[in-house]
Amino acid sequence: MTSHDVRDMLDLPGSAAPRPAKKQKLAGPRPNLKGLAREVQSLGGDNPIAIVPEISIFKKRRLASRKPAAKWELKPFKNSAREDDLVLRHWKRKAELPPAPVEENAETAPVEEEMEDSTFAKFNVKVNTPKYDDEQYRSRLESEDWTKDETDYLIGLVQEYDLRWPIIWDRYDYQPPVPALDEGEGSIAIVPATKTRSMEDMKARYYKIAATMMAIHNPVQFMGQAEFSLHEMMNNFDAKQETKRKQFAELNFRRSREEAKEEESLLLELKRILARNDKLTEERKELYARLEAPISSGNLGLYSTSTGLQQLLQQLMTVDKSKKRKSIMGMEGMSPAVVGQGNSQQASGSGDRRESSNHRESVPSNAAPNNKKGPQAAGNERRKLTEEEERVYGVSHHDRLPGGPQFRHEKIQKPITSKSSVQQQKINNVLAELEVPIRLVMPTADVGAQFEQLLSAINTLLDGRKVADKLASEIALATEQKRLREEKEKENKEAGGAEGGAEVKVEEEREKSAAPSVKAGSVHKRSASVLSTVSDKSTKRQKK
Amino acid sequence: MAPPNSQKRVKGTQIFRPFVYGTTSKPFNDTTNPKPEGTPEDHTHSWTVFVKGVDDTDITYWLRKVQFKLHESIPNPLRTIENIKPGDAFEVHETGWGEFEITIKLYYIPESLEKPQTLYHHLRLHPYGATEAEKEAMKQQPEILAWVYEEQLFNEPYENFYEILTSPAPAPPKGAGGKGKGTRKLGGGMVGSVGDRTALIPSQNRPGQPFSRESETLEIKRLREAMGKVEELTKSVQRELKEKEEELAKLRS
Repeated sequence: MTSHDVRDMLDLPGSAAPRPAKKQKLAGPRPNLKGLAREVQSLGGDNPIAIVPEISIFKKRRLASRKPAAKWELKPFKNSAREDDLVLRHWKRKAELPPAPVEENAETAPVEEEMEDSTFAKFNVKVNTPKYDDEQYRSRLESEDWTKDETDYLIGLVQEYDLRWPIIWDRYDYQPPVPALDEGEGSIAIVPATKTRSMEDMKARYYKIAATMMAIHNPVQFMGQAEFSLHEMMNNFDAKQETKRKQFAELNFRRSREEAKEEESLLLELKRILARNDKLTEERKELYARLEAPISSGNLGLYSTSTGLQQLLQQLMTVDKSKKRKSIMGMEGMSPAVVGQGNSQQASGSGDRRESSNHRESVPSNAAPNNKKGPQAAGNERRKLTEEEERVYGVSHHDRLPGGPQFRHEKIQKPITSKSSVQQQKINNVLAELEVPIRLVMPTADVGAQFEQLLSAINTLLDGRKVADKLASEIALATEQKRLREEKEKENKEAGGAEGGAEVKVEEEREKSAAPSVKAGSVHKRSASVLSTVSDKSTKRQKK
Repeated sequence: MAPPNSQKRVKGTQIFRPFVYGTTSKPFNDTTNPKPEGTPEDHTHSWTVFVKGVDDTDITYWLRKVQFKLHESIPNPLRTIENIKPGDAFEVHETGWGEFEITIKLYYIPESLEKPQTLYHHLRLHPYGATEAEKEAMKQQPEILAWVYEEQLFNEPYENFYEILTSPAPAPPKGAGGKGKGTRKLGGGMVGSVGDRTALIPSQNRPGQPFSRESETLEIKRLREAMGKVEELTKSVQRELKEKEEELAKLRS
């Protein structure tokens, strides 16, 4: 569709503006960009290629530096690191001579200023091998395995080969000095068998010496960090372990491809086994947790009868309904049947509650129908805290609790504050006597438990004291009575004079039996309890 | 706030949180504690009453506000403190000349659905103590401290509240909110991983933080000793009892 058609449809003045004539092909020759081939340029079509490589024109600068070519000369040099005085030559740039002396007096100039040293001579460093004298060797470095001569030889080798142990080991060829003996015997002299030394032996010996000498020159306690670690390392060199390590490496190196593969697969297998093991323990733990979970003590007997089953069915239905009802709730109209059912549910629900109150938390499903909203269900899913968490968050479990907030100190003091003021005063007196502050400094749970024990002990003490007081008053009373009785007897005796002893006895007996009745009015109860056993008495007192 | 009947209490569970309340007082003097302008002539001390966490930990996640009821002679005696920064103390600064009992009412966060509880604290301006030595020691201190350690027990908390009390502190909001918590982090020897919201108390006393496991152990030791004494006393009383009974039996025979 062209614009013409659109105009036509819209009843616009047709072809008001003639279509713009097609662009004329640019006939004019384009500016000839330099540096691009014509073919490349024409690839761009109408849009000329914007990027034009800059053509750098190299100027001929050869003639710019018109210096004479540098002069070189073959110069001899020697290397101070070498022991022999070998003189080698190398090409060196000739030192620019000041142009002043033009007179060309080459003959008078010094022949050679000084044969220079090689620049590489400075890299010829020698290791510092421990040096010791005879005295030191005797006192510190003696070894039954190594003679001094051989040790010297070893040190010499080490020095020579710069601690490169494989080379040292390779070159090691110690010939014990043949003892200078008489010629006659010399032919049959026993040549001591040269020991073959392993690299580890050599290392061990060398490190031992080095460490000892180090310690001699600089006692351990004055060593710097680096020195000390080096000393430790050398001291702890274990030739056996090193040998083992090498053997192991050797074995490792020599094992075949199959062996390597097998090892790899074995490792993989091990990994798998471990992972499986982990998983197994995890599962087992979970199983244990599940087994240890409190067994729902819901009374199954409840459902053994037909009525019970009926109830259960109803409950389940209620749960079902309540779920459904939620969705229905949105709509205004609820059919009366549903309402009626709801009522009956409520009734049955309340019946349930009565039953379930015996085991309230244990059978949440029983209680569920009573709850119309979600939170309770969420409560059942309340996450279990670990013991650690419970300790951290201060959570504890008790059989019976008064709901709501409480202060620990108040709770601790309750056994006191609930007593009569007289008793309170007594307890407080005892506490003061014990120098226990009435206000505990740290009323924590542990302190509370301890305080409770103390209180109960104090209570027994107070009870004991009370009984003791009563006994004391009774004793006073009894002594008084005895005194009176004795007085009476005296009177009787005086009155009766020579009357028969039998009569006195009778009299006495009569009086005895009368005595309790005399005091019965005032101390009847007390005397009765006094007659009973000690423990019986104290319990009675407490009850009173 | 949800209607109370929609929530259940967590049965058989008790959660506690330690805190400290008390007073700190300092007599006026010209060098260290000069009287501020406008203080009545007869006022002799400046004092502070406070409620705060042990070791200055956050308690605002269970305690919303605190009402201090001061003596009626003080203007505006009912002071309510709320919206403090976590880790700060609910506190009132005042000046005065006399000691009296301050009523401290704790209001819990709305999620707890619990009624406010009341504590009483005696404002101390002068050295106190059971013995003269204690008093003398207190006189040497620049300030008179009457600090009390207390544990708030929540018996059978409502579920939401239980959730709050047993969860670590939420990460502090990025940016502006972090200054209170971020800078303080944990004081003392608290367990770091769960944040400040624990019932733990530091294991060691530090200057200015006298309540810790250390003091607790000391207190238990003291109680044990007292217990030993009481047992001895009880034994002697029982011995006495026996003797008396024998005596009485002798008299009666």
